[in-house]
Amino acid sequence: MKRWFLFLVAFGIFSLFAIKGFSLTADEVMKKAYHVQNYLADDERVHVEMKIIDSQGRTRNRVITMLRKDMDNEDKEQKYFVYFMEPPDVEGMTYMVWKHIGRDDDRWLYLPALDLVRRIAASDKRSSFVGSDFVYEDISGRNIDEDVHELVDETDTQYIVKCTPKKPDLVEFSYFKVYVDKKTFIPMKKEYFDKNGKLYRKLEVLESKEIQGFPTITKGQAVNLETGGRTEITFSNVEYNIGIPDDVFTERYLRRPPRKWLK
Amino acid sequence: MEIASLLRKPGKALVVGVCLCLFIGNLSAWAAFRLGRRGPWIRGFIEASYGKKMNEDSTKHDEYNLAEMHFQLKSRVDLDFNDLLYNWGTQLNVKAEGLLDNYFDTTLSFSVRELNISLTPFDWMDVKLGRQILTWGTGDYLFINDLFPKDYLSFYIGRNDEYLKKPSDAIRISIFSDRASLDLVWIPEFIPNTVPIGERLSFWDPYLQKIAGRDAVMRIVDRSRKIGNSEYAARLYGNINSYEWALYYFNGFYKNPKGFADQSNYEVYYPNLNAYGGSLRGPALGGIGSVEVGYYDSREDKDGTIREIPNDKVYLLIGYEKDMGHDFRIGLQWQYEYMMDYSKYLHSLMSADIPEDIDRSLFTIRLTKQLMKQTLTLSLFVFWSPDEEDTYWRPSVSYDINDHWNITVGANLIAGKDDWTTFGQMERNNNAYVRLKYSF
Repeated sequence: MKRWFLFLVAFGIFSLFAIKGFSLTADEVMKKAYHVQNYLADDERVHVEMKIIDSQGRTRNRVITMLRKDMDNEDKEQKYFVYFMEPPDVEGMTYMVWKHIGRDDDRWLYLPALDLVRRIAASDKRSSFVGSDFVYEDISGRNIDEDVHELVDETDTQYIVKCTPKKPDLVEFSYFKVYVDKKTFIPMKKEYFDKNGKLYRKLEVLESKEIQGFPTITKGQAVNLETGGRTEITFSNVEYNIGIPDDVFTERYLRRPPRKWLK
Repeated sequence: MEIASLLRKPGKALVVGVCLCLFIGNLSAWAAFRLGRRGPWIRGFIEASYGKKMNEDSTKHDEYNLAEMHFQLKSRVDLDFNDLLYNWGTQLNVKAEGLLDNYFDTTLSFSVRELNISLTPFDWMDVKLGRQILTWGTGDYLFINDLFPKDYLSFYIGRNDEYLKKPSDAIRISIFSDRASLDLVWIPEFIPNTVPIGERLSFWDPYLQKIAGRDAVMRIVDRSRKIGNSEYAARLYGNINSYEWALYYFNGFYKNPKGFADQSNYEVYYPNLNAYGGSLRGPALGGIGSVEVGYYDSREDKDGTIREIPNDKVYLLIGYEKDMGHDFRIGLQWQYEYMMDYSKYLHSLMSADIPEDIDRSLFTIRLTKQLMKQTLTLSLFVFWSPDEEDTYWRPSVSYDINDHWNITVGANLIAGKDDWTTFGQMERNNNAYVRLKYSF
């Protein structure tokens, strides 16, 4: 009897350690969520529609097709190609980003009416993406190394991670909370708190589904709680691993959009 | 015509333009809704503009220099009706324009701004054939190696930036490789810049030796249409990590009428010009830095001894652009030009000639601030030359009322100490303009 008891106690303690050991740390959760949001598969084509709605219900639309290709297997270097379809005054414009970690991204904009390839100086990743309630970083992904992560809560379905910026003067928030789905690791909600600790902005996933085996966000929104404005974003025609060649992300295709890959 | 008579008054032209925009806007929205399309097949805009002149002058209309309605229709059509064209990714690109220009006689004129075919006959080659806009180089409103035609008349009267570039009838062949790519351009028929000649914008008339409007006597001698008057341009370029390098070559003519022909008939013309240059652009000092150099080889005056032809010149352009955060950007440029064989140049002048300096610096600054979720853009571009003591300010405020409507208010403000300098000669052309545009 005594032996059995000891065995049980030992097993119990071991299990506790084991569970503790198998449970994810905040860093691991964020790493997986970052991967799911930005680095699924080797490449991707997606049709993006944004509806920017102000507090009075007036809407503006942005429609783009985006190509993405990962340049390494470490969830770091990436290249993006963006083709604008709406609004009318930017139709046909193309935009290219070489995303870097630890230094400014390289960005180019091509204006077809002027046949002009412009280099865009853009170090502020917290400025609005094409006039929407999303900021540039929401789209290209905020580098996880820029924040300290802390697992503040855990429900049956979600990890809740508090992210505090290492360089607070570079951003307008004091911290944000991410609600990560335990099964898919999709960051289902992000809440941004200002310097007074007040919630002023949130991003939400409204719809997601599995595409080619990858957990994919298909609809979301960014809400500005201060102005009452919001932006709905819809991702459609998502396709992964289509084999986009490297040279699509060069000046050649900026001037002559690669129809084959933009369909 | 009822409408034509209405349009004689620029203010009324604007009102009629607005009504027309509203009509087309509603029609287009209705059509898109009925057809359930994601995007229309034909796109374009209609724009009404009015620019009030601020100075006494001797041009055709001294009270205004911009009063017009522009409309543009554009379309891109995939030519894929046979396998070869499909495999070549052949595409037809059309941009047609109509202009109801109240400055001259309120007649509607049509033009083709772009009409070209793009194709990819080989994996490593693109070809673009036909009327097209051509641009390269690193400058912002300053062009050293981009010797494709510009329309400075449109620039000074406050038309949309798009009109600064004039189309060329050209063949452009681009050859690509991993290390470097090559653009070859052939423009069979030389196309000059559109520059002020007095009727609409006053300028320094070198024969009158004063700023002239309709009283100008200078006459531009056009190049005749023949193969010998074609132009060639080439660019070899590539990337090294985040840096873009390029080498440029140009064989053609001065884009402005810089040479003097038959002086008893007050003639000026476009002398031969070769240009060689290079540029480098990439991240620097937390922003984007660029350097461009060029050598203008004035082929008709190799030694620099001919009074009627410009001497060779060296150009240097250094640019820097930085994102200051909160949708505020600044751009700075310094352009330096240096005349070769200066002593020979001085020697060739006649006693009444006003000698150019051996060198000239030109600085520019661009400030852009966007507000209200990037729908309101405040912009200021300033040219300033300490050597020529002249300056040109281009402030503007542009507001996207919604996805279709934009209103832009701006001004062209020019001042200079002397009447013969680059901007000084334009100082009576100051205007303040408003443009209302509907895009669909």
